[in-house]
This record gives sequence, structure tokens and C-alpha cells, in this order.
Amino acid sequence: MTAGAVLVRTGTAEWHRIWSVRSSWILAGVTVLAVLGFGTLVGYSTSGDPSVASPGSTAWDGGQPTGMFALFGVLALAVVTTTADHGTGGIVPTLQWSPRRGVLLAARSGVVVATTTLLGVVAVSGASVMVWVFLPEFGLPVGDGAQVLGRLAFVFASGALLGSGVGLALRSTAGGLVTVIGLVLVLPLLLAQLGYSWSTTVAEHLLGSGALFLIYGEGPSDDMTTTSASLTLVVWAVSAVAVGGWRLVRTDATG
Amino acid sequence: MISVRGLTKRYGRTRAVDDLTFDVGAGKVTGFLGPNGAGKSTTMRMVLGLDRPTAGTATVDGRSYAGLPAPLRTVGALLDAGAVHPGRSGRAHLRIAARSNGLPLSRVDQVIAQVGLEKVAGRRIKGYSLGMRQRLGIAAALLGDPQTLLFDEPVNGLDLDGVRWIRGLFRSFADEGRTVLVSSHLMSEMQVVADRVVVIGRGRLIADAELDEMLRGLSGPRVRVRTARADDLADALTTGFSGRAAIERTGPDELEVTGLSAVEIGDAAYADGLPLHLLSEVEQSLEHAYLALTGESVEFHGAAASGAGR
Repeated sequence: MTAGAVLVRTGTAEWHRIWSVRSSWILAGVTVLAVLGFGTLVGYSTSGDPSVASPGSTAWDGGQPTGMFALFGVLALAVVTTTADHGTGGIVPTLQWSPRRGVLLAARSGVVVATTTLLGVVAVSGASVMVWVFLPEFGLPVGDGAQVLGRLAFVFASGALLGSGVGLALRSTAGGLVTVIGLVLVLPLLLAQLGYSWSTTVAEHLLGSGALFLIYGEGPSDDMTTTSASLTLVVWAVSAVAVGGWRLVRTDATG
Repeated sequence: MISVRGLTKRYGRTRAVDDLTFDVGAGKVTGFLGPNGAGKSTTMRMVLGLDRPTAGTATVDGRSYAGLPAPLRTVGALLDAGAVHPGRSGRAHLRIAARSNGLPLSRVDQVIAQVGLEKVAGRRIKGYSLGMRQRLGIAAALLGDPQTLLFDEPVNGLDLDGVRWIRGLFRSFADEGRTVLVSSHLMSEMQVVADRVVVIGRGRLIADAELDEMLRGLSGPRVRVRTARADDLADALTTGFSGRAAIERTGPDELEVTGLSAVEIGDAAYADGLPLHLLSEVEQSLEHAYLALTGESVEFHGAAASGAGR
């Protein structure tokens, strides 16, 4: 039996593992509702005074900021689905059924990234539609949508990998959530506010700042570019999966 | 067949499993015994690739567990019935197992029926009793119809009906030529179900023998004898058999004699004119044998209850 066939089987099992518990559905539902709500709010408030929008804006531009809400949903879902096995002891049967840990790592990360990225993209698309409902004159051009959603999909995938890697490394839902919220929200804000050049430099290289730049076009320093922000996301995502993967592959299966 | 060779697991300075070597053959139920903390579960976890050995190997049919592409078709195991997501239904749990190993989903309903969980299979596991969780774990172990089965304390939480059912299951698997390894601390249960026993203590192998061989080889036959002249009989046996007999006074008029047969004791009593009121061979129990073997290996001793012996 080829490794590819084992990977497909393990991936299928992972998909069903995620969606056979209510907590995943609740998290996904709350994420979509929050993002749609934010999109509705943006559309409603802008419709009162459309001149606040930049000239040539589309409904996609109005929906894009909701990506930050979606990112938190993506992070939470990635951490919760990755750590659930360790918190419940379910890692024991999981590794009995899928003992090739490298394959399990690939399947688990792959399914979490695909699932949460799709969820984020769908949620932001819905939010953009809500903006368009209030501002039909802005339009929903397909080309702009592909560009915005493509960029956000990259942010969501990076966030999902970070959440997945942190979850695998810490094996604790609470610890994982605190860590990713700290890395993505608290630390970038805190360090940027300190006002020292070193703290701004550090803030600039955190995943949250990269995500913020790619979503809003602004970051803690003026030196940030799309390339540097993208690179920051890639380095954090790959590093987190490397550490989490090492723990899964090389250490005993514990809670 | 399960082969364990020089298996060692260290946690810091503690050796949980220490250079363990044994085989578990096909066609027999092998009991895996040892006191708490002896290393039974750690050994089973290493066989299943859950824990990484510090040294040594554990293989199933000559292959490491992690190398099996569809392990459930080769090995079925129940280690910890509680180690499942409580928010998932029993059926969903088994379907994930089936999908992960490419097994047909129809097999899920078959094993659910086999373990008697049809009525609760759609319910979330958090509502299951311990016995239901044990049955679910057994169902997962049977899913791939494997040739090798490992169970860690499988009768925990099962009612009498469940115990009898699983006993029959082990026997039928062994009779079909499968390899069955069962760890348990219930000696009476093991004595009924096991053909062979592997005993470990403090991570080391203490005994690896057929059950009968272990019971016989422990201390020879034991005979209980009751007579109003117990002291005279004890003297007669001590002098008449030149130290072969080990005699223990178990009551004012009762002795337990080890090393002599009932016939030898009866003949000696008759020759000396000593009337006997009871002469009976004591059935050797696995519990006696186990306690004798593991007495030095028990890591966690309980204190005697204050009212004990009153």
C-alpha cells in the first residue's frame, strides 16, 4: 500500500474526526456569524455616508477587514481540533489506527488548513455580500474578489498552520489559545505601543503584524511590505508546524 | 506472534521496563500479570508504537507496529476505554477507525452488534457507562478482524454477563489460532481464561510459563489435614519423610502440608494410628503463585487497615 493511499485514508478519517463533534460546528458557526455580523455593520454604517470609502472601492474592500475576525475563528478552530485528541486521551486510539506519525501530521495539518481556510474565505465572502447588499453601487467584481480572497486565504492558511503547530506542541487547548492570541493580537499591539525601536522591530516580525498588514495594509512600522509580511507569516507557520510535528513524531503519545 | 526483545523504557532515572524479553504465541490466551507500576501498560504501549522504547524492540508478526499500513487488520487493541472524545457518538468513533484503515463501514454495524451496543451506538460517548466504553473499545479492537489482540484490563466495568462474554471471546479467538495477550490484575479471571502467563515486576520478567506449569512448579502439592493429634502427625511426617514435608499449622487441629501427596500423608497417619478427620488436596491458585512470585516486586504497598485482623 502506497504512502499516498495511507495519507488519503488518514486525511478522510481526520475530516470526520473534526466534524463528528459539536464543538467544531459551534466554533465554525460562531465564526461565520461574527464575520457576517461585522460585514453587515460595515455595510450599514458606510451606506449612511458612502463618501468615507476610497474612490473606486468595491464591496470586497468593505468585507476585507472582517478577515481579522475570521482569522481568530480560524486560529481557535485549528487549536481546538488539534488539541482535542490530547485533552480527551483520544490520541491513543488515533495513533493505534494511524501509527505512521509523519503521515498523521501531514493529514492532520492538511485537513485543518484546508477546512479552516475554506471556512474563513466563505465567511469573508459572505461578509462582502452583506456590504454589497447595503452598497450595491460598489459592486462585487470577480477579479477584485479573487485578489482579496486569495490574500486572505494565505493569511488564514498561515494562521491555521500556526494554530495547528502550537496545538501539537503544547497539547493543551487553553495553553494553545492563549499562545496564539498572544502572538497574533496581544504582543504586536503591546510591543508597538512601547515606542522603542527594538520593540517595534520585534512587533513587525510577529505573525499578527504580518496578518494585519495583509488585511488592512498597515502595520507597526512603515518599513513593512507585502513581501516582508508574507515572509513573516510563512516563517511563523512553518516554524510552528516544525516544532509541533517534532513533538508528535518524536515523543510518546501523551495527553 | 508478538515478540519483545530487550525492551527497555526509562523515564529519567526510573526504569519502567527493564530489558524485557518474551514471546506471545498464536493459539493461546496469554495473561500478562504484574503489580501496579510493574510496566505492563508501558510494555503494551511500546508494542503499539505509542511510546518510544529507550532500547530493544517489539514486533508483531516480525514487523514493528508503526510499519503496518493498515494496523487494524493485523492488531486489535484496547488499552484505555476512557481515552475517547466524549462528544462523539460510539458509531462515529468506530467509523473514523474504519476510514483510517480502509475498512468497509458495514463492518462498524457488525462489531456494534457483536458487542451489544446497538441501542446506544448513536448516543454521545459521554453518556456511556464504563462497561459500555469497554465494549466500545473491544468493538474497535475487533473492527479489522485481526489475528493479534491486546487487551489491557478488559473486564473492568463489565457486568457478570459481559465478563462471561469476553471470556468466551478470548477462548474462541485462541481456538481460531489467533494471538491473544490480556493484562489483568484479577487473578481468578486470569486463572479461568489464560493458557500461559507472563509475569513482570518492576519492569523485569519474573515468569513466563504455561499456567499449569506455573501452578505445579510453585511449591508442589499442598494437602490440608485435620486431626485431633496434629502435633503427633507433624512429628511423624517430619521424621518419616526426612525433611521433604513443609508443615504449617493452620488451626488447633489442622495442618497444611507441602511437598507430600495426600496418599503419603494418609499412609503415614494410618501407620502411626492417628485418626484423620479431613484429608484434602488444596487446589493451587494463580493468586498464591502470583503473590509468591511478585512479593518482592510490589512497588506500591498499602498500609494495613487499623481494624484488620479483629
